[in-house]
Amino acid sequence: MNHLPQAWGRPRDDVYGAYDSSYLQNGGPTQHTQRPIVTGTSVVALKFKDGVVIAADNLASYGSLARFTDVKRLRKFAETSVVGFGGDVSDMQYLDRLLNSLDIQEAYGSSGHTLNAQNLHTYLSKVLYKRRSDFNPLWNQLLVAGLDGESKPFLAAADLLGTTFSSPSLATGYGAHLAQPLLRNVAPDEEAASKLSLEQALEAVKESMKVLFYRDARSMDKYSIAVITKDGIDLKENEQLEKQSWAFADQIRGYGTQVN
Amino acid sequence: MFRNNYDNDSVTFSPQGRIFQVEYASEAVKQGSVVVGIVSKTHAVLVALKRNAEELSSYQKKIIAIDEHLGLSLAGLASDARVLSNFMKQQSLSSRLTYGRAIPLSRLVNSIGDRAQTNTQHYGKRPYGVGLLVAGVDETGPHLFEFQPSGMTQEMVACAIGARSQMARTYLERNLEKFVDCGREELVVHGLKALKESLAQDKELTVENCSVGVVGIRGEGMKAIEGFKLFDGQNVKQWVDMVAEGTEEAAEEESMEVDS
Amino acid sequence: MTSIGTGYDLSNSVFSPDGRNFQVEYAVKAVENGGTSIGIRCKDGVVLAVEKVISSKLLKAGANKRIATVDRHIGAVSSGLVPDGRHFVSHARDEAANWRSVYKTPITVKDLASRMGGYLQAYTLYSSVRPFGITAIVGGWDSELELPVDGQVGSGPISGAGGKVEGKTYGGPGLYMIEPSGMYWGYYGAATGKGRQTAKAELEKLDLAAGKLSLEDGVKEAARIIYVAHADNKDKEFELEMTWISNLDGPTKGRHEEVPKDILEEAERLAKKHLEGEEDDEETKDDDKDKMEE
Repeated sequence: MNHLPQAWGRPRDDVYGAYDSSYLQNGGPTQHTQRPIVTGTSVVALKFKDGVVIAADNLASYGSLARFTDVKRLRKFAETSVVGFGGDVSDMQYLDRLLNSLDIQEAYGSSGHTLNAQNLHTYLSKVLYKRRSDFNPLWNQLLVAGLDGESKPFLAAADLLGTTFSSPSLATGYGAHLAQPLLRNVAPDEEAASKLSLEQALEAVKESMKVLFYRDARSMDKYSIAVITKDGIDLKENEQLEKQSWAFADQIRGYGTQVN
Repeated sequence: MFRNNYDNDSVTFSPQGRIFQVEYASEAVKQGSVVVGIVSKTHAVLVALKRNAEELSSYQKKIIAIDEHLGLSLAGLASDARVLSNFMKQQSLSSRLTYGRAIPLSRLVNSIGDRAQTNTQHYGKRPYGVGLLVAGVDETGPHLFEFQPSGMTQEMVACAIGARSQMARTYLERNLEKFVDCGREELVVHGLKALKESLAQDKELTVENCSVGVVGIRGEGMKAIEGFKLFDGQNVKQWVDMVAEGTEEAAEEESMEVDS
Repeated sequence: MTSIGTGYDLSNSVFSPDGRNFQVEYAVKAVENGGTSIGIRCKDGVVLAVEKVISSKLLKAGANKRIATVDRHIGAVSSGLVPDGRHFVSHARDEAANWRSVYKTPITVKDLASRMGGYLQAYTLYSSVRPFGITAIVGGWDSELELPVDGQVGSGPISGAGGKVEGKTYGGPGLYMIEPSGMYWGYYGAATGKGRQTAKAELEKLDLAAGKLSLEDGVKEAARIIYVAHADNKDKEFELEMTWISNLDGPTKGRHEEVPKDILEEAERLAKKHLEGEEDDEETKDDDKDKMEE
């Protein structure tokens, strides 16, 4: 009899032959996250003369299933910045808690100092880059919107690879293909963005959200939108896309209830 | 001689609730040569008296630049100051790396305060034998902090520590109201005058034994700062001359040759 | 202090033959020399106040805060060795942050007091450390409403977290005082530091157990008590620092904040007026009794 612990509860070798323990090994290297599971789609944002407008819909998809329809993907930080999350929702929740604890630490650790959107973006990009370098990425694309150290509008992106990018208008996911060109029409460069009024910026962003809803099958018509200026954050989390027109869809195969 | 039983280590309270080891460490600060710090609305300056161990040796460094926006001066064990200043440099750099932000002064000073406190509560450690004056600017303007071996840190308008520093403090207290509106030059001169009060009778302020550190703001925000700059040797001549009020010219000419 | 010199008071964690840990008692002595700190638990919030004795004219006025925020809804103040107080706060912040990361919800004042009591007690157990030379007062407001879970992104189940008894109220003000021994109690009014005896006497007059004092009046009482407690130590100048935490409908919306300047100044004005009144009383007591009855 083999009394060694590794033989406990197993068929006897003398009766059944040598135990096949191959199933105990996963037969490969350690694996971390390989793909996102529950996901949010595009985030779009645009700078204007006094601040930034940012929007994302309230859907969290589980594959092609519209799983959660009230997920708020725009997260406030310290009443001064907004982070818009695309990609994995549980990683977003992790980051949200991380930012919450950072906010507490920053707000009370030294009086009179807060992290502005630029500091926040630097921090988040380091977190993302660290995780990707550990081969354990946080599967998100982020847009960070707010004001920089000189109280000028700030907008920048960071993603699961630790890549950073900044532009007067930004969009993640599907939005990078569909919304970005529309936003560039209104704000081709920094100078143009610095002349945009809030109304113009809102209109452009809402229009982009509408186009995304028309074309992105992982989107929905309920969305959140935030305006960040030096006066603070105006965040609305239950907006409905208005003035939709599906007339164009009649002629296109695959839309709506058409099967072929 | 009466032997005090309660002063062998920093983990023993005396019946009066005092910790003698910590109090003795504060005595080490008083062995160091005097350093002075003053802040105004726009600037923070450090002024220090350097000592050399012997005629042919160099003078002990008294002011250390930590980062673009701050520096410190020390009184007491210089090697302890180096440990602390290296730590501060790391903290400072880490803030710039992770947040892209110059570390707020109060936070940095608290971090060395907390370190020093640990040394007063655990057996096998000893309190730091150095006092520091930390001067710098951050988003909330210029600041001056005093650090003591007990881990006590306090924000000051002006301060002097080290040998015979009481005389300097008396000068500072007498001129306290003037400092707020001083420009950078006036502030340095006040500092040197305070320093002069603390000199031993046969000593004079010279270009060899004076160090000056200056940091300030030029306008709003952290972009427009006058970075921490250390002045030694001939670079302090202008100020030393102003304070000297026509003392021996010869001594200074001689010093010029030595330096060049 | 009869046992001084017997050797049982030279090391922490050592009992004397009559069962005392002298090092802890000596740590209490350090507290008794510190500036007075008080806390008042009002019906709709908590006030914390501290007397900061000004040791030098060169100190920057209004800087050097002594009351710290531990988490958004909790504040802490201590009397005794100031650096030990900072150590206390730093660890309290760690505990609060750690609680959040485990339970996804803010720590209650009671739980924080318990954790910190445990931490301070640990510093009486070993000869390799010394006890904290502080007595800390921890005050806060536990939310009376169902809070979103930290990191919650949707609305969650309509029924909420559950586990609540109908008709029972949850949350509310919390005030605890933690001593160097690690012992802690909940208080209606807490005082420590040099002027604690005077302050305690004043607090007892307020009948706080009745739960009628409003936060607004609590602020005024706190200022007055610090001024009264300081009167025994008149030759030294001091600065009053005060913070408060109200309920969610109140001025701070459940957060720990500094008392706004105008309210603080008004409270100080009333406190000074009260003191002057008292002095007048003493003078008039003997020679003019009729006047007092007016």
